[in-house]
Amino acid sequence: MGGLSSVIKLACDGMRDNRLLWALIAGFALFPIYTHFADLPFWNDVAMRIMLLGMAAMGLNLVLGYGGMVSFGHAAFVGIGAYCVAISQVYGISNGWLHLAFAIVACGVAGLVIGYLALRTSGIYFIMITLAFAQMLFFLFVSLEAYGGDDGMSIDRAEFGIIDLYAPLRLYFLIWACLAIVAMVLMFIVRSRFGVTLRAVKSNASRVEAMGLSPLRFKITGYVISAVICGIAGGLFASWQEYVSPDIMHWTRSGELMIIIILGGLGTLAGPLLGAIAFLLLEEFLPVLLGSLAPAYAENWMILFGPLLIMVVLFGRGGLSGMIGRWYAARNAAGKGADRR
Amino acid sequence: MTSTIILEQTFNGLQAGVTLFLVAAGLTLILGIMDFVFLAHGAQVMIGAYFAAAITAASGNFYLGILLAIPLTFASGYVLEFLVIRHLYRRDHMEQVLATFGLILFFNELIRIGFGPAALYSDLPPSLSGFVEILPDTPYPAYRLGVIGVGLACALAIHLFVSRTRIGAMVRAGANNPEMTAALGVNIRILFRLIFAAGACFAGVAGMLLGPLTAVQPGMGEPLLILSLVVIIIGGIGSVRGAFIAAIIVGLADTLGRVFLPGLLRLVFDQATADGAGPALASMLVYILMAVVLIFRPTGLFPAKG
Amino acid sequence: MLEINWGVKMKKIMVAAVVLAAIGVGVYLLINEQKKEVVRVGYMTTLSGGAGIIGKQMQNAVQLALEHKGGRLGGMEAEVIFVDDQRKPDVATQLANRLVKSDRVDVVAGIIWSNVLMAVIKPITRSDTLLIGSNAGPSPIAGEQCHENFFSMSWQNDQTPEAMGKHMQDAGVKSVYLMAPNYQAGKDMLSGFKRYFKGEIAGEVYTKLGQSDFQAELSSLRAAAPETTMVFQPGGMGINFVKQWKQSGLDQVSKLYQVFSVDAVSLPALKDAALGILGTQSWSPDLDNDINRKFVADYKTKHGNYPSFYAAQAYDTILAIDHAIATSGSKDTDQMRAVLAKGNIPTTRGLLKMNSNHFPVQNFYLRDTVKDADGVVTTKVLSTVFADHADSYAANCKF
Repeated sequence: MGGLSSVIKLACDGMRDNRLLWALIAGFALFPIYTHFADLPFWNDVAMRIMLLGMAAMGLNLVLGYGGMVSFGHAAFVGIGAYCVAISQVYGISNGWLHLAFAIVACGVAGLVIGYLALRTSGIYFIMITLAFAQMLFFLFVSLEAYGGDDGMSIDRAEFGIIDLYAPLRLYFLIWACLAIVAMVLMFIVRSRFGVTLRAVKSNASRVEAMGLSPLRFKITGYVISAVICGIAGGLFASWQEYVSPDIMHWTRSGELMIIIILGGLGTLAGPLLGAIAFLLLEEFLPVLLGSLAPAYAENWMILFGPLLIMVVLFGRGGLSGMIGRWYAARNAAGKGADRR
Repeated sequence: MTSTIILEQTFNGLQAGVTLFLVAAGLTLILGIMDFVFLAHGAQVMIGAYFAAAITAASGNFYLGILLAIPLTFASGYVLEFLVIRHLYRRDHMEQVLATFGLILFFNELIRIGFGPAALYSDLPPSLSGFVEILPDTPYPAYRLGVIGVGLACALAIHLFVSRTRIGAMVRAGANNPEMTAALGVNIRILFRLIFAAGACFAGVAGMLLGPLTAVQPGMGEPLLILSLVVIIIGGIGSVRGAFIAAIIVGLADTLGRVFLPGLLRLVFDQATADGAGPALASMLVYILMAVVLIFRPTGLFPAKG
Repeated sequence: MLEINWGVKMKKIMVAAVVLAAIGVGVYLLINEQKKEVVRVGYMTTLSGGAGIIGKQMQNAVQLALEHKGGRLGGMEAEVIFVDDQRKPDVATQLANRLVKSDRVDVVAGIIWSNVLMAVIKPITRSDTLLIGSNAGPSPIAGEQCHENFFSMSWQNDQTPEAMGKHMQDAGVKSVYLMAPNYQAGKDMLSGFKRYFKGEIAGEVYTKLGQSDFQAELSSLRAAAPETTMVFQPGGMGINFVKQWKQSGLDQVSKLYQVFSVDAVSLPALKDAALGILGTQSWSPDLDNDINRKFVADYKTKHGNYPSFYAAQAYDTILAIDHAIATSGSKDTDQMRAVLAKGNIPTTRGLLKMNSNHFPVQNFYLRDTVKDADGVVTTKVLSTVFADHADSYAANCKF
């Protein structure tokens, strides 16, 4: 009992310290109510895509933001998760729980192997070797004609026992539940001794070594956990899209995850989710914006997106969550000042 | 498999290798000296190719196109460094990756708006459209021999410059230990700008040389970028000599692998498996090579930093 | 003091509430504004990125078709919503959902790529909306995974190389060297070719997708010295390949045939280098019927270059929608489906017949690459290889 109550206390403390994250998650839970009354069912799909991208980005953020490892390989783990679902269906397995199990095991193993090989390098070498592994997996799946090759495979949504994923909003809340669980797990990890050590490895690995710990072991463990999270996101993504193809594991999709993380705020829990919201909203509205300003150039909207990225890197300290944090802090300070009048 | 076909393919590999070297040389110096991950280097290839193709189309003279495109590309690199790049030196790698990724998007769209999304027309100059018999009965395109020649000349020029001149000494010092070089009073800002512009220029030359052979279109530099990143990793960051050797290795491996791997596989496996696995393996070959090198030599073959 | 703070806070809450309410009302109005008697078509292509040129041509053709029809389809006022799938299946899925659930279009059309089509076909057809394809034609959609709400206004991927195989077989070609990129479409092309060509395969080479330099493969080809060479290298790869083929002087060694590698998208970059190369296709700018003549002439006048087959198929897609609504008298899905299934749709290829799996049954022509009267390089029909050819997967399709 003592164990459970301390866990619950940890959870409450964590949620209080990460208000933005849990506000967003609560928002996603309530969002379908709004879309129902505003008759905007399409935006549920956008929200699902945001949650899935956010989940994958959260996984990458563990190693990228907290661990300092710039990995271009994580799109491959999303892809492996998705293909676990698809390939299982080819062999007649439609049980969603089994799919989940396969995705977790496959990504865990892949994460271990790639992490072990890649983490012997660092810096730009690490970036490149993860890119190489992502490309190899991409070419592998492109060549697997039995599983659709690059045309991909049309699949059905998984079966989770009594929950029919084709009924409205069931898939939405399944994704939401997974997102909440992933967020909770990450919250615990980050605050745990493991998480603190991982962050210490990022800032000063030799000091960690001096304490008698193995930085490599922490990095690999973090890498495997992040790979599994990406795999879960990938498996759910396959159900959402009812289709898999090697495109989801191209190294440029890892780049997208990185853009999401940095937009939202590197090394924060809410950052990836915030970044996913921003990224998809930009994808929706930049073409519309450019289309209304200069209709002839509507399809060249990436000419706005490129400089925007550069601006975010140059000026956006801590991304969106950093900005929100500063705004909130400034407001609090102003409030306190006013009270004293 | 006759010796003539092997020789011809070796020439092909060499040509691919020197083209890669032109792109990788600048990149290895930028990464080695400025510790800057410049993903938009492929855009420099595209910019050079477009300058040359446009001037050639307007003037009707290929050599004029190249002659004018070289200083223009140098200038574009110089301006880019001054406006954007120098603000990013202090950022960490991931931020540099993202910012330069933004640059890629920007340049691709700029070219698309300026020249349209379709590929530009470009062809070989009439003076180099013929063939040279490298062996009896083996005609080899004269233009490609020219490319090999230009590439080797550039490699020699860079080698002499870096090893025999004072600026070259500063470059080597910068590659080995940037902080110390700055502490010794070298005007590091101008040095960086010149290195960047020179790197852009060489990449642009690669684009100019490739223009008549391939499609001049937005995004044409990206495949070269990935390969040249592989090259500088294998060769060792900051080392031009390493880049040259690695570029030749990668060029040969990629070319010979593509051509001979399916045949080799057929000796071991049955036709269907070999035909399926062969091309896939050939595309992965370069990456496998890099991964193997990194596992045994985590900092490449000839790293500049001692 | 307390009163002042409370007032400030209350103001902020009120402002926020008003803004939210305004947004809510605005959105509501936006949705409901769209309930007039209008035919709404959602047209999905790739407008941004490397392949944007194809999407642009299709967009041009769709707009030209609407102009020709006076902005009305089947007599009803028409509105076309263009969306850009960025060549990404997940973006396309989201766009498909938006077109169907949010914009409430009556028909979705377009789609260049096979993988995008495979991704979006389920959400669209499930919502009982017709999906009319302007280009992609992967075999699962023609066969086991067919759906009655899908119609193709283009072809099934294998048909064009099948025609090439038949032509070369009939022309007495003894051996051929095959080359295609190593991806699904490439493999489909070569297997379609081999279905009809029964001679010797001197070589079957799969190149890297997106490859720009073929010198190595061309050197091997020269060593093999095959009688003929048949290639599938779409897009930029085709431009690179043909250029390098000519530059290597391989015309002296082997005769070059192609599918989908030389067309109005690549010809402006190739110009004379493409002259004399034979290919097969279901359409050509010089097809002799009123609709096609008007289409090609007006497209050339408006955009300064020949339309490609992508554009022709996009144009035909709009004609099909017009035909379906005009003949059935309504934009109801079931009625439009019944009309389209019967075929005999007036298009740039004449009256287009429909197969049981909703793919066209059409002619395939042998085309040569020539200079027209103005010196512009284009393609010209030499002969008809297949008359009323159906695809090989129709038997597997059961709705």
